[in-house]
Amino acid sequence: MRPLTEDESKAVFTKLANYIGKNLIHLIDRQDEPYCFRLQKDRVYYVSESSMRLGISVARPNLVSLGTCFGKFSKSGKFKLHVTALDYLAQYAKYKVWIKPNGEMPFLYGNHVVKAHLGRITEDTPEHQGVVVFSMKDIPLGFGVTARSTVDTRKLDPTAIIVFHQADVGEYLRDEDTLF
Amino acid sequence: MQRNSNQSVTVEKETPLEVDPGYLTVTDLNPVDEESYNENLEAHLQSLARDGVQALYASLFTLPTRPSPDGPLAQLPPPKTQLPRAKPLPKPKPQTKWEAFAAAKGIQHKVRDRREWDEEKQDWVNRWGRNGKNKQIEEQWITEVPLNADADYDPRKVARDARKERVAKNEKKHAQNVTRAAAAANPRDARKTDIEKTLATTRISTASMGKFDKKLDGEKKIRGVKRKFDPTEKSVSDEAKASVALLSRLESDAKKTRREPQAEESVLNTRKAVRFASKGRGGLALGREAAGGRSSRGGRGRGGKR
Repeated sequence: MRPLTEDESKAVFTKLANYIGKNLIHLIDRQDEPYCFRLQKDRVYYVSESSMRLGISVARPNLVSLGTCFGKFSKSGKFKLHVTALDYLAQYAKYKVWIKPNGEMPFLYGNHVVKAHLGRITEDTPEHQGVVVFSMKDIPLGFGVTARSTVDTRKLDPTAIIVFHQADVGEYLRDEDTLF
Repeated sequence: MQRNSNQSVTVEKETPLEVDPGYLTVTDLNPVDEESYNENLEAHLQSLARDGVQALYASLFTLPTRPSPDGPLAQLPPPKTQLPRAKPLPKPKPQTKWEAFAAAKGIQHKVRDRREWDEEKQDWVNRWGRNGKNKQIEEQWITEVPLNADADYDPRKVARDARKERVAKNEKKHAQNVTRAAAAANPRDARKTDIEKTLATTRISTASMGKFDKKLDGEKKIRGVKRKFDPTEKSVSDEAKASVALLSRLESDAKKTRREPQAEESVLNTRKAVRFASKGRGGLALGREAAGGRSSRGGRGRGGKR
């Protein structure tokens, strides 16, 4: 377990900023308890200071997980967000997409969101913007990237992809052993 | 012959004494009189010294004076004698690659002025640095866009990237010149590191990448560059501060290429306002309408289908 280097922090922050924008500051500078980012076996964990200090005394091979796993670094140094970060993303998301009940299952099986399943979308969402996907009952289901801006979606046919799938809560079952 | 002139004020020698009042120095260039030297050394030296001092005093009294509380002071002229320098001459600077090339080709060095003439402003402007001419395209309020440019073509970003690239290239060249100069200054060390590098490369250039090769006696393990990380138990508040600083740096980088304020910063949502004002047809249509509102093309409904 170690703190992130500057390049790693940059990679993590740019990814997170794509979803929550300036709210990222609320993750770094928290009022309730100091939190920090820690890297352990290529995975980035968002941990409170107290549990981080407890974790220091655990040897590296024995430490399986701590805090909230935000994602992992690929071998080529790119950062990939995991669905485990969804709680924080949903809390601070700038742009949101709500999908209809008949679209929930297809999305939870890892498919993209098509226009027919689109319930609501934050207005003025630009193209290629990170969005958090909610069910109509405001339950966060996952996140993705918009394929078109809100204005452009009007003209599309119902089968056109609106949001590219990136992660969904179905991964808790599908990728149970590698997720955390 | 010195005996007779012992009490004289004027010193007469075969070769006249060289007096440099600036250094208060007298040089006697006459050959040593061997006879008097051998007869009585002390007396000979004393007479030589007296003559010298006499000549020095005589020259001092001819100098212009300046009154002072302690009596008149002679004003010494600047020294005439050329003294050798105390330190060795500086070594010539190692040539850069360009300088070597220019010398070989006989290219003359032209000193470029730091400022250049701006026709539009009718004034001298900095070539680089603050308000530099090299940032003109990035800073001017309107820029021409090529006809076949993409929709997201940003001339400001293109110009800035090109400038940054030039700077990076120059820095790279500078670093290469520095290492080349260091290698030239100490060829033995340079050769040594070169051989070590080559050896390290050959050792991992086998089919097993050096894993199953026969080890030679006294062969050391190849060590790469050791990475260094911050300690895990560092103060979290310091870490948060560093993260906030990094964030603001990321933001400022993004802002430098994009001039218009971020949507979340201003109270007015420009895109939404334009959409509302143009009834969803975009800013271009709105502008056309405003420009052609009084012209013959006129009308809102007809204007769209031309």
